[in-house]
Amino acid sequence: MTLLDPDFIRRLEQLRLQVRRKLAGAGAGARRSTRRGASVEFADHRAYSPGDDLRRVDWNAYARLGELILRLYVAEEDITVYLLVDTSRSLDVGEPKKIEVAKRMAAALGYLALAGSERVSIVPFSDRVRAPFPPARGRKRVAPMLKYLDALTPDGETNLDKTVETFLARRPRKGLVVVLSDLLDPGGYARPLDRLIAERHEVAVFHILDPSELEPEQGDFVLVDSERGTRVDVSVDARVLAAYRKRLEAFLAGARAWAKKRGAHYSLVQGHDLEAALLEYLRAG
Amino acid sequence: MRFLSPLSLAWLGLLVPLVLLYVLKRRRDEKKVASTMLWEQALEDLRAESPFKRLMPNLLLLLQALAIIFAAVALARPVGVGGVPDGAQIAVVIDTSASMAATHGDGTTRLAQAKRRVRDLIDGLPPGGALMIVSAGGEPVVTRALSRDRDALFSALDALEVEGGGSDLEEAVAVSSERLRDAPSGSRVVVLTDRAADGSIDLAATVPLTLISVVDEGGREPENTAIVSADAHPRATEESPDRTELFLRVARFGATPADVFVTARVEGRGLVASRRVTIAAGETESILMTADLPPDPDGRAAVLTFAIESDATDDLALDDLAVIPSPAARRVPVFLVGDAPSSVRRVFRADRGVELYATSLERLAQREEPLTGLVVYAGEVPSEPPPGPSMVIAPTEDAVFGATLAAAVEQPEIIQWAETDDALRFVSFADVHLRSARPIESSSVTSLAELRSGPVIARQVRSDGETTLVSFDPDQTDWPRRPSFVVFFRNVLESARQRLREGGVAASALGQPLRVPVAEGAEVEVVSPSGRRYTAVSRGGLAVVDVDAVAGVFQVDADGRSLHALRNLLNPEESELRPRLEIAEHGEELVARASGATTPRESWPYFVFALLLLIAIEAFVSTRRA
Repeated sequence: MTLLDPDFIRRLEQLRLQVRRKLAGAGAGARRSTRRGASVEFADHRAYSPGDDLRRVDWNAYARLGELILRLYVAEEDITVYLLVDTSRSLDVGEPKKIEVAKRMAAALGYLALAGSERVSIVPFSDRVRAPFPPARGRKRVAPMLKYLDALTPDGETNLDKTVETFLARRPRKGLVVVLSDLLDPGGYARPLDRLIAERHEVAVFHILDPSELEPEQGDFVLVDSERGTRVDVSVDARVLAAYRKRLEAFLAGARAWAKKRGAHYSLVQGHDLEAALLEYLRAG
Repeated sequence: MRFLSPLSLAWLGLLVPLVLLYVLKRRRDEKKVASTMLWEQALEDLRAESPFKRLMPNLLLLLQALAIIFAAVALARPVGVGGVPDGAQIAVVIDTSASMAATHGDGTTRLAQAKRRVRDLIDGLPPGGALMIVSAGGEPVVTRALSRDRDALFSALDALEVEGGGSDLEEAVAVSSERLRDAPSGSRVVVLTDRAADGSIDLAATVPLTLISVVDEGGREPENTAIVSADAHPRATEESPDRTELFLRVARFGATPADVFVTARVEGRGLVASRRVTIAAGETESILMTADLPPDPDGRAAVLTFAIESDATDDLALDDLAVIPSPAARRVPVFLVGDAPSSVRRVFRADRGVELYATSLERLAQREEPLTGLVVYAGEVPSEPPPGPSMVIAPTEDAVFGATLAAAVEQPEIIQWAETDDALRFVSFADVHLRSARPIESSSVTSLAELRSGPVIARQVRSDGETTLVSFDPDQTDWPRRPSFVVFFRNVLESARQRLREGGVAASALGQPLRVPVAEGAEVEVVSPSGRRYTAVSRGGLAVVDVDAVAGVFQVDADGRSLHALRNLLNPEESELRPRLEIAEHGEELVARASGATTPRESWPYFVFALLLLIAIEAFVSTRRA
């Protein structure tokens, strides 16, 4: 089934309605920015410093306290949602293939963003950044976006570091960077994601793993690395399985801990379970 | 270790399909995964936990292969490891032939080596086990019956000496296996021999037999220079009536030649002749020397001592010396007692080597010193036989020295005679006609010639002498007209001469006890060639003295009489020290082993136990893996 399949589009619409119901009052396009600015919604006070706009001085406060205090407001603006979609060969496994899960997840997020009048850009990557879907706004861009996503095929090895470097080199506007990846990068994921945060992007991570990776079957196998081609002879018995689970849990816990520490969103996505991950993300705001 | 069912080892061929199956079974399914990163880390964790886990993949194959090996070995019924079963009995047959006195490179003798191994067997006796020791000399002797008393066994073992009369292993094994006929399982006969004898033997043991070689397996080839025969003959000349020719044969056994210095000595006179010869390896040299050998002051013939000396390796000392009586230069005294038949007087008178005396029983009774010579009684005989050689011709009494004579038979015919006996060499009774004769009725005599009704010529052997008994009067026959008559008396004379030359003690093999004829209760003292003294008391007119197995002259003081006994090896079969005797057991060659400390004992139960243990381990490992 392609992303342009009417069933899938209908599901996206249902998802949008569902999101609306769940997030009553949080209208599309009214996304809260991390930047404070000139809007009607009060956010905070701070002391006046030379050069500040005198129009923002809270004179009532000055009358009561005798100090110049500036009123700060939440800056409401349309932000750009960058969907960094991992298209490395490591996503060409699983049932369904993880690349399909990533594409559907990206489609859902993109659809919701476009429906909310936000700008959406899709940046597929593996060991390099592939030709992106340029920032676009409006429902009319839904179909081109889905068509773009549908055309993505897995290729190359995962290299988050290089991807982020290339992405930032294009000096994108500050926005929400959603990373859709299995994070199985031998070079690690923490450093490149830290760089995104350092560049004042908001980061959300959708960690896409197949159920077979979370619960491998037992038996004698030659495991072939989909990216590097490395072959590992292993007899998966209870003992080996326990060691693998231990490593996997450490891997997942590490990702969660990183996200918590950096204030980023983290969701583990397994197979078809897109809605749950999306709702979890949207509920977290 | 050997196997009772070696064909079962073919089951080891199962290892091939096992390995093939294992290889096939271990063919893994290829599986594409996103990344092997976590798997590699997990496997590394496991290796770090236990380095031996790396071997785990091959552990099952190893266990299964070991299980097959143990099963195959168990089916092959391995034997050879283990001790003697409880209660088992061991009969140890030790070759005590002279060659066992040969020394090895380390200076120990073969007999000492055999004793050491028997000591190990005694020390290793199982609970309830017993051991017997059989000395396999010329005649096998059970020197210690089955016993659990280690001290007694050690004592019997220590007392074993070599003998010069060869080794009758067949008889010794037969005696031993007969003693073990009803012995419990695991009992066996252990034969320790150097196989230094010619020919082949077949040991028919009824119990398991172990043959242990006591040859210096790791050492060099044995070498020996030996006197293999010695003799002396008078060759009187006008210048020297006591001139004697000394004959000697010296052999060199081994791979190298030897320069040998041969000496001939006479007690009291020292060196009388010498010669240096070179003997090639494997050859025998005949040596002829001459010397003047007058009789000693006592009228006895002197004793000649031959000795060889050489710088070449010589592993056996027993055959480096030989002693023989020198030919008596003096005539043999013959005492005719009574009225001897004219034909008998004539034959003695005609012999130049005889000094003939005529006497009577009455005169002899008055004499205090025993006669030294051949005493010939004609007609009357005394009640007791004289010491030494004697002869009785046509006795008139019915009893002669314990033998009885039957009534005379007229016109008898001699139907058979002992042609191989020394006394009847070249003697024939064909066409000899007797007028009458009295058959000898006694089981204590050895028949030499006999009628249908019994012997008429016989020999009576006693500890202190022997008597040749002729029960008819030669003058009443046509025998004196035959050459065999003269030959017969010359044979008897030669036998007496030999006995006198030997000093009065009967010849016996090296290592055999001396049997000294002496009055009942009298004490005998013997001094061996090495100066060792032995004493014994006479029982039944004979003192039996156990002496060293050495060659040389044994001086004997027998109740005041001075005698001597001569002992030699003079046996080329014993002097050849190389093992060459082929020994078979029930027709199959018996392979000698170097050690007898182990006993064949089936050990398959151990392998079965190990097999079961392996199966249990494999089950455990498989369960853990699942």
